[in-house]
Amino acid sequence: MTNASSPTRLALVALVLVVFLLPPVWLFLSALKPQAEIFQWPPTLWPANPTLENFVNTISRAKFLLFFKNSAIVSVLSAFLSVTISVMAGYALAKFRFKGDTIFFLLIMSSLMVPLQIIMIPVFLVLRDLGLLETLAGVIIAPAATPTGVFLMRQYIVNIPDSLLEAARLDKTPEWRILWRIVVPLSLPAIGTLLAFNLVWRWNDYLWPFLIITDQDQWTVQLAIANSIGRFGIDWPKLLSMSVLSVLPVLVVFTALQRLMMGGIMAGATKE
Amino acid sequence: MTELVAPITRTMTAARPPSSRRLGDIRRKVWPYFLMLPTMGLIVAFTLYPLVQGLYMSLFKRGVVVLPQARQTLPQYVGLDNFVSLIDNADFRISLLKTVIFVVVAVPLNVVLSLALAVLLQPQTKLFAFARTVVFFPSMISLLIIGITWRWLFGLNNGLVNYVLSLASIAPVPWLEQDTMAQIAVVVAWIWWQAGVNMMIFLSGLTAISPDYYEAASIDGTSKWRQFTHITLPLLRPTMAVVVVLSSIEAFKVYELVVSLTGGGPGKATVYLIQTIYDTAFQLPMQAGIAAAQSAVLFVVLMVLAIVQLRLARSKA
Repeated sequence: MTNASSPTRLALVALVLVVFLLPPVWLFLSALKPQAEIFQWPPTLWPANPTLENFVNTISRAKFLLFFKNSAIVSVLSAFLSVTISVMAGYALAKFRFKGDTIFFLLIMSSLMVPLQIIMIPVFLVLRDLGLLETLAGVIIAPAATPTGVFLMRQYIVNIPDSLLEAARLDKTPEWRILWRIVVPLSLPAIGTLLAFNLVWRWNDYLWPFLIITDQDQWTVQLAIANSIGRFGIDWPKLLSMSVLSVLPVLVVFTALQRLMMGGIMAGATKE
Repeated sequence: MTELVAPITRTMTAARPPSSRRLGDIRRKVWPYFLMLPTMGLIVAFTLYPLVQGLYMSLFKRGVVVLPQARQTLPQYVGLDNFVSLIDNADFRISLLKTVIFVVVAVPLNVVLSLALAVLLQPQTKLFAFARTVVFFPSMISLLIIGITWRWLFGLNNGLVNYVLSLASIAPVPWLEQDTMAQIAVVVAWIWWQAGVNMMIFLSGLTAISPDYYEAASIDGTSKWRQFTHITLPLLRPTMAVVVVLSSIEAFKVYELVVSLTGGGPGKATVYLIQTIYDTAFQLPMQAGIAAAQSAVLFVVLMVLAIVQLRLARSKA
């Protein structure tokens, strides 16, 4: 196309920035407005009387911090679990020949074709039979195995030279030590990418906790948000501030690791 | 290096006393299965078994039973009756049709927009890198929050969208209060969310095209537009196919966005397939068998798309 600094192109980039930046910024700015200003017409772009009142109200509401804590526990533990088992499976598929390896790989990848949305009823029954309903353990364990994770780790670990592993075996290093001391340190970039993605996925999860949890003490932030949207009459100051707060952790992870994450997408690891 | 090490390993193992070698061999053989165990266990428990169970359930008349004591009502085998009943099931038919329309409208728009974004934001300078990050970020936000954001933007008497329209002297549009407008709102919000991911896939496709083609074309004096239609588009076809299929699969699953954006309303205007399945199963009269049949129909659609995608991905590589 035209060269990078042509005026038309820069104008288009400005338009793109407005279209993609304005909605989240507008959400954030609105959350800073006092009740009266939120519904004012014409709307004020910049809050005339910025206040943290909505945030303070939301946070001081009895259980919001509990929901935040539940979400944090779920996403951190689930992300670690998911990365651990993905490294294990990825390593096995990358560096071992064993009976059924191709079938395992195909079964894992084929589960990509089966979104939770179409199996939620039988999944609900499985969760019930395993006693995982109404437990955070259910929200942590059930979504932990992801084909994307296994695939990403396998692709990365394949490139670790066999000679390193063989040399360690010559020294009679136990297998688990080879995994922990050689494979894991050498795969850190992939592990970091996968960890970041898992944190975001699990933080954003709505359907899994929705199926598993009804008890308010176990709600995650997403459940709390979904439950505070009535069909009529939304408490906007509350909802806006909750939404902003719920995006903050994602923003932090994304800003810190955006290179890794965007690289991860470009490498073909799209979504779960 | 590998070839050098391998023979040495063999001599070394042979030299070891037989008993410990056998133990080591067994350990080595069991090890990869142990490594696979957690992932396979979870995938079987929460994906493969439920899939089979769901297909099996679609042949029975039953409700979702929550309490163990309620299990006494035994599911009754009805063969393909559940599938036949779908033909007369207005809720299912309408939501299927709406979902298909949603896919057919949203996916092409999304492909065009994300390709345009990829071409526009391709240069490797800081400004463009920043713009790419900005476009990509929404896809990291949960669809629930995307829905809330757009519900706020589409507000009738206080929304930013209507305010911008009012600057152009356009009367306020009842985005979420009127059927077609609400459906358009869902499409807009969905595209806004999904564009970033597709843009990244297109960018990886664009970087794979050798600059030599463009240089040769420039020397021949070919216009930029002709270069785009005659070089970029044809070479991008495999990437395009992948984007189309991936976003179609994503679009068929539209649900969480609607939960917060429209709540399925006004009336039932934005009730799509997943919500119908969920309501059929979990709302009275809890017809899990029929919901399972609806899921099976959607599964077939998604599987066809996925197989097409695998084919395309392979031909790309």
